[in-house]
Amino acid sequence: MTTSERDTELAAKLRGITGESSVLTRRSQLLTYTSDGLPTYRKWPALAVFPNTRNELIEVVRALALAKRTFVARGAGTGLSGGALAEGDAVVVGLNRLNRILSIDAENRLAVVEPGTVNAHLTRAANAHGLHYAPDPSSQTACTIGGNVAENAGGPHCLKYGVTLNHVAALTVILPEGELVTLGNADGEDAGYDLLGAFIGSEGCFGIAVDVTVRLTRNPEAIVTLLADFTTVEAAAQAVSAIIASGIVPAALEMMDNATIRAVEASIYAAGYPVDAAAVLLAEVDGLKAGLDVDVRVIEHLCVELGARTVRIAREEGERMRLWQGRKKAFGAMGRIAPDLIVQDAVVPRTRLPEILAKIGEIGRRHGIMICNVFHAGDGNLHPNIAYDARHAGVEERAHEAMREIMTVCISAGGTITGEHGVGLDKLDYMPLVFTPQTLDAMCQVRQVFDPERRSNPEKVVPVHSCREWYAVRGARA
Amino acid sequence: MILRSEQLAACTVTEVREEVRDARRRDEAIRIAGSATWMDAGRVVRAERLLSVSGLNGVIHYIPGDFTITVRAGTTLQHVAAMAAEERQWLALEPFGARSGTVGATIATGSYGPLAHAFGTPRDHVLGLRVVTGNGDLLTVGGRVVKNVAGFDLTRLFTGSWGTLGIITEATFRLRALPEVDESYALAVDNDPQVMDAQLRAISSASIAPYSVEMLNAALAQRLGVGTDTTILVRLGGNSESVRAQVKALSQLNTVGITSPEIWSSFRECEPEGATVIRFARRPSHLGGLWRSAVKRAAGALVHASVGRGVVRCIVNRDNDEQLTGERWWDPGSAIVERGADIPLHSSGPLAAVTCVRAGISRRIKDVFDPSNILNPGIMGDVG
Repeated sequence: MTTSERDTELAAKLRGITGESSVLTRRSQLLTYTSDGLPTYRKWPALAVFPNTRNELIEVVRALALAKRTFVARGAGTGLSGGALAEGDAVVVGLNRLNRILSIDAENRLAVVEPGTVNAHLTRAANAHGLHYAPDPSSQTACTIGGNVAENAGGPHCLKYGVTLNHVAALTVILPEGELVTLGNADGEDAGYDLLGAFIGSEGCFGIAVDVTVRLTRNPEAIVTLLADFTTVEAAAQAVSAIIASGIVPAALEMMDNATIRAVEASIYAAGYPVDAAAVLLAEVDGLKAGLDVDVRVIEHLCVELGARTVRIAREEGERMRLWQGRKKAFGAMGRIAPDLIVQDAVVPRTRLPEILAKIGEIGRRHGIMICNVFHAGDGNLHPNIAYDARHAGVEERAHEAMREIMTVCISAGGTITGEHGVGLDKLDYMPLVFTPQTLDAMCQVRQVFDPERRSNPEKVVPVHSCREWYAVRGARA
Repeated sequence: MILRSEQLAACTVTEVREEVRDARRRDEAIRIAGSATWMDAGRVVRAERLLSVSGLNGVIHYIPGDFTITVRAGTTLQHVAAMAAEERQWLALEPFGARSGTVGATIATGSYGPLAHAFGTPRDHVLGLRVVTGNGDLLTVGGRVVKNVAGFDLTRLFTGSWGTLGIITEATFRLRALPEVDESYALAVDNDPQVMDAQLRAISSASIAPYSVEMLNAALAQRLGVGTDTTILVRLGGNSESVRAQVKALSQLNTVGITSPEIWSSFRECEPEGATVIRFARRPSHLGGLWRSAVKRAAGALVHASVGRGVVRCIVNRDNDEQLTGERWWDPGSAIVERGADIPLHSSGPLAAVTCVRAGISRRIKDVFDPSNILNPGIMGDVG
């Protein structure tokens, strides 16, 4: 059977499960699914299927297992590491139609949702009970809970509230071979190995979540957002360290540099950031009303002491939202600078921030490219973004070379290559810089426990060649 | 239980790897020990050797401004607490058991204490590990930074695996700043079911953000000297204005009395030698019922519950632990033997087939890291 005959046969089989309109095969239809939020990568899947119900999803995965086909689960496609791309023989399994909130147990602060549920929709539904879902990636108005689980997504507020790992109580998973398994335990404690913890952040390589039981968080009684502006990036970074050292746990502590500020202020997301500032800090404290003002005054005092020109304190919801919109839509605003953008992600120990930011600036200047920094300063989680025009010859290569240098700098400072975007395709080459061959091999083998034939999101996260080399060494030794 | 204990001690990672390789060559199992405070866990471990890693201790890396600390696995919790306190920081974990327990054992057993209410269990504190697997390989998993999604999360697999996948040699934790005020209060709880349930609901929805909320039965309250009957202990932290307001909110529920901050140390260490400890859990809204069933069955025991987490922990005399486990009264929910006789009590799933798949995954994971089954065999029941 030729490839196209196999695809036709598979498409017919999948249509039998999901109905005619839920399977896409034509290139014009598949175009949308050839990239994710990091459009420097483009891959063509063989076809795409969109199950409409839980049972359809289970049947689809079983049909793919029977046909020995590789597949890639995809939520909203907002990922930033090329993780949701499918190539060649691989089938995209789109989960965005599985978007129902199945139940909310307000008293126990738990909700069960389908994987395609949009993050912000969950929070909106929980708000009716005075609750919210704490992890809040910048893409929260579009990204899905299933995708958040796959990436172990964070967001500005994970500084205080933790990442996806800390907010998932249980998962029902369909394994690549078609078996269903429950990981975690929403009704009590979990016993045995922490398979739930291992699954979260496995980037779609261990199977597909059929439903997710998340923990909800009580809405704070009060929230205050502060905007401090600085004339040097170093001073802003020092203020970050001082705030953390004071013992206050801000709900969020975000930094934007001048390039980002100007992009935001020139866009429809203009938030009133001072355009001549070298950097602004967006700090937020929340929780019980009593005592919150004490924390606000401490943060204000520390910022001023470390050279802030002004500290704006927003208590009113409208003003807070405006300050936040500039931050959350900063990536979009960067579209004004140049048509192409690489949104990057790395983590360094917080105390190394001033030094690393200076090095990133130097790398950008040396390669003649523009780097905008907008990031979770409180966590040391950097997002250096390169805005460039790929139509100009050689620019894309320079951008990628600059990124490689930035990653190397972060690793040698004791940091890591990704704090929340995942490895996907984009960071594969950097994995051997962070992990030893033994550790990479262990990751390969754990993946094979869940997915023995490596059909679920193949060739992502761990470089296959590094595993093979290790197998070869082992074979020779035996 | 060690059948024929040959005592070995490793002070370096190289020595740990050599011991593992040697054990593997001879096909002899190893029982891994830190301070050996948990050695009477009571489950049968078929091991020919006892390997102590308590000599593998000390701080490797501590930059206070990063709020992370990297220590060798044999370092005691007490030592980490003292180091961090000098910088007005703490590891907000404080598990039940002796303070002389090691960080390696704490992570391996997934031990936690009353602070889990606000700060979670070891899986929420550990950023990275170095581990010697049953193959003798040295793995470096996770990292030293507070956020990290590079690669599959092996850190979570090793945490709580009771040493059956590898010997932890080094760990990096997230630290927190010590609060300006850290105070604890006791309030009496009524034993009438309806009143108790209403009180529990009131505490859950009160305008407080406690570090810990633990309900103690009469025996435990008396032993700790905080009450004569069922009592709730609440630990509050933050700036003084916030704590004052929270105390006020608490006192609207019932009469509250301040207790010594030392109460938590006494509480953590209240378990008698050789006791059986079993944790039962349900969704927190069912805590009252779970509590009453447990207290009724565990006559004479020390019983306490994490109110926000719905976990009831029973400390019973080993001779009469059967009263707690004779029938499956906790369904739905979970029952976990923390230490004590080898009673298979793993959480119940709705479908037997699903649980079976999960057991298969766990066994294959064990095969990846310890194919010869030489690390703590038997300690986790089926899996180990």
